[in-house]
Amino acid sequence: MKYKSKKLSEWTMQILLWILLLIALAVFSIPYIFMISNSFEQFSFSLPYPPRMIPKEFIFDAYQYILSLDIFSTALWNSILNTILTVAIQVVIATLSAYGFARIPFPGRELIFKLYLFTLMVPGFLNIIPQFITLSNMKLPIESLQGGLVGTRAGLILIYVSTGVCGYTFFLRGFFRGLPDALSESVIIDGGTHRTIFTKIMLPLSKPALGTMTLFALQGIWEEYFTAKVLLGSNEAMITLPMLLQRLNGQHATRWEWVFAASIITQIPIILLFILFQKKVVIGGLAEGSIKE
Amino acid sequence: MSEINKHLNKRIRKKELYHLGTALPFILPGLILVSIFVLYPMLFTIRISFSEYQIVKREVTWLGLENYISIFTDNNNRIWYAVRNNFLYAIITAPCIIFLGMLFAFLINNLRRGRTIFKVGFYLPVITSWVIVGLVFQYMFNSSNRGLINYIIVDVLHLSKDYIPWLLREWTGNFAIWLMGIWKNTGWAMLIYMAALQGISKDLYEAASLDGATAWQKFHRIVMPLLKPTTFYVLVNMLIGSFNVFIQVMLLTSGNPNGKTTVLQYLLYDRAFNQFQFGEASAIGMITSITILALTLLLNRGFKLDSADKEDTI
Repeated sequence: MKYKSKKLSEWTMQILLWILLLIALAVFSIPYIFMISNSFEQFSFSLPYPPRMIPKEFIFDAYQYILSLDIFSTALWNSILNTILTVAIQVVIATLSAYGFARIPFPGRELIFKLYLFTLMVPGFLNIIPQFITLSNMKLPIESLQGGLVGTRAGLILIYVSTGVCGYTFFLRGFFRGLPDALSESVIIDGGTHRTIFTKIMLPLSKPALGTMTLFALQGIWEEYFTAKVLLGSNEAMITLPMLLQRLNGQHATRWEWVFAASIITQIPIILLFILFQKKVVIGGLAEGSIKE
Repeated sequence: MSEINKHLNKRIRKKELYHLGTALPFILPGLILVSIFVLYPMLFTIRISFSEYQIVKREVTWLGLENYISIFTDNNNRIWYAVRNNFLYAIITAPCIIFLGMLFAFLINNLRRGRTIFKVGFYLPVITSWVIVGLVFQYMFNSSNRGLINYIIVDVLHLSKDYIPWLLREWTGNFAIWLMGIWKNTGWAMLIYMAALQGISKDLYEAASLDGATAWQKFHRIVMPLLKPTTFYVLVNMLIGSFNVFIQVMLLTSGNPNGKTTVLQYLLYDRAFNQFQFGEASAIGMITSITILALTLLLNRGFKLDSADKEDTI
């Protein structure tokens, strides 16, 4: 009897949770629903009245128009390449740094780490001016690179990676410090090096944290607009998706369905990636079961 | 005595050198990049804030405190409005984001089925491009009857007779900016909290359940204390985020009316990229940085994380 009532209360609890979360989600989704429904509209120089949350009919003209643009495929390719390259390099550099700061008590560690923290607090986008100048001074003996690395993919990725190091090091360091010491101590006792601890213990245990970091990095670079705009400027061949969105917005202020359709297309890959990642990455306790007491 | 000290010092130095040697392969790649593209630009900004900088000629002329003085003696008091609005943004949005993020994470974590739907649903705003979010909010807060918010308030609920020019007034404009910040960032906090909750051993919950703890007790006594470092991380991020608020303001109000919804970053952007006053812009950047640094140090004290940080591992 007691067991039954406990099970029943567990059920009501679950249903209550669902209802609560559904209401919250409904409220949270309003702007999104609004955007999706308006991407199926056909604006003729004025906004519809009353404002619609559900489209009258599903017209895909805006999507077709965006997908047919040549510049869209250029932007898509550039965004994919920039994002993947940046995040791959970022993950490697940040993981290494974080391990160094978390587990090796080298002299100056506190100072450098505080410096890293400090850079996180400084408004980033004034840095763009000296960054621009430094890149333009990085001249290579190649004919096409007279302006240094300004306007190149390499230059953009270099800036993206560098500005991400401090933040991701901070994030992963916190995670590494949270992992049990006993594991690494056992490696040290067995005569292992930091390289062994890093590759054999930290990396396998850090998959959820690395996944989370990858996710943040992917999303951040995918939507980055300001740096790309300044560093790539008018280089048409290097245009990225956010730059294209902004251009669509500027050119066709009244054709909101194009802007919204383009932005939904832009977001679909990120949404899909997030669904895939979160299933693979954040499962179970992080360090659970790795130490037998 | 001094002999022993000397010997000890020698040994300590040797150990330090050894640690430095093992640490370098790990930290050097990051350190080089940070030095060239983050630390050097910061020093550059400090220098420019005391100078006049002409970007085309790349000429730097020393001015002393002139940039700072001209910022604080601005006729419209824009700097004060900006500082006030940054603080208000932090005080209003950060607690909302932390509370909602932690709550959603805890609720979702207790679900048996459908975790993915809610997790993705609440995270959607985070992965939505700022520019687009700005446009959607602009459209929703439209001053006429075409805006969703006005339509609901006037035509559906009849709470007000007139349509409200949301983005043109001081407090309604600020409200829209806050709302957008909360909406955009809650999912981020939720995700961080979810990752942290995964790290909390299930044994603890089970033990608490066996002892007859209620859901609230579990949340209050187990989850919240264990999430303290995470909350610190989120809080620091939100606080720094509050002083980096920019895109909302640019897209929604452009700081209008007359700079009353402006924030430090928008002021900085306006000075640098609209008026090309890089000196004044850098000075605003410096003021912002110092404010953030002071606040973070205070927070650090409050959370007493410093002592935990100094414990050496291995």
